Amino acid sequence: MRDDDNVKIKDVARALREPVRIDASFNERVMRAVRDLPKHSRLSFWRRWSMPRTITVSPLGASLVAASLVVFALVGLWHVSDDIDRAAKPIAKAIFPSKVAPDQHVQFVLVAPDAKKVAVVGDFNGWDASHSAYQAQHRGGGVWSVMAPVPVGHHRYSFVVDDSLWVADPSAPRVVDNDFGMTNSAIVVEEQR
Amino acid sequence: MRGFRRALAGAGLLVAAATARAQDARLAQRLDKPTYVAVNAIVDSARVAKLPTAPLVDKALEGAAKGSDGQKIVFAVHQLSVRMTSARHVLGATSSPDEIKAAATALDNGVSDRDLARVKSAGGKRPVTMPLAVLTDLIGRQVPIATATSLVVQLAKSGIKDPDLALFQRNVRADIDRGADPTVAATTRARGLVARGNPPATKPAQ
Repeated sequence: MRDDDNVKIKDVARALREPVRIDASFNERVMRAVRDLPKHSRLSFWRRWSMPRTITVSPLGASLVAASLVVFALVGLWHVSDDIDRAAKPIAKAIFPSKVAPDQHVQFVLVAPDAKKVAVVGDFNGWDASHSAYQAQHRGGGVWSVMAPVPVGHHRYSFVVDDSLWVADPSAPRVVDNDFGMTNSAIVVEEQR
Repeated sequence: MRGFRRALAGAGLLVAAATARAQDARLAQRLDKPTYVAVNAIVDSARVAKLPTAPLVDKALEGAAKGSDGQKIVFAVHQLSVRMTSARHVLGATSSPDEIKAAATALDNGVSDRDLARVKSAGGKRPVTMPLAVLTDLIGRQVPIATATSLVVQLAKSGIKDPDLALFQRNVRADIDRGADPTVAATTRARGLVARGNPPATKPAQ
């Protein structure tokens, strides 16, 4: 009985091992059938972005992404800390009013009898002569003055008369400016205690 | 492997984003493109060197406000960064941005590194922003650098406080405006202040 089974199995195996004979037109018929299939529709841009997918990430890849995020955060904080210092001051002041030194109000005075317009420019306002808070008012007798906010610290500044003439503050320390050829004034504003 | 490539691409993007820092928008508004690029490069270098960058931005804005050409602005900003590097080296790593700025200004007005170190040493642990501002002012009013430095060092050693230093500067200025010799005015006022000790600040003699 077992010998009969073995013979049958061998016959089946032999039949399976024999090469399949394919007629010459087989390939052409298959390709024709493929070409006749309905075309695969292209996904729209929005669909491509919104379609849920499974993304495979190796543990090494995930670790690299996590490390990059940490490096990005640290480097970013370090790089922009100085830049955001000024921008963050008003926000910090609103959140921690007692922790941030408030701007001090400084009175700038210039005697300029013939002037039609006097503005104060300096490190504290980006040297912007059009800054509204630093426009001096004529108080009579050729005296121009403005009480303007100045942050605590060391600042260089100057008066701009009639949008063209640069005048150092005669009552403040001088800073000879070797870079742009006009003498500035200096002010050191300290926090009021 | 595909996940690894994605992670690498992500890391590259993050590093690129980290180097694209937020720059002062005012520079972009007030400087032409080549000047803006050059100034930004100097500001970036200063940031990497942990120098205060605000004075550099202010210097560029000052140049733009004064109508200087781009080349001059870039040169001035670069010179300031060099002076701030020297100033920080002399004053020490713990010096404040204001001290570095005041020291850089003093260096620009002819004060030497050695004199800067003398003022710093005389001031002890107190900030030297005001003494340096007064020193720069005296030099600007034609007091010889050596004399002005010695006087400021003497005042700092005597423990003269900032409001009294400011008063000293105003009195010297008033004396010079009235026709006094700058050196004599500064020397006399300094001696008077040291002799009196450290009195509370009063109004300047006008």
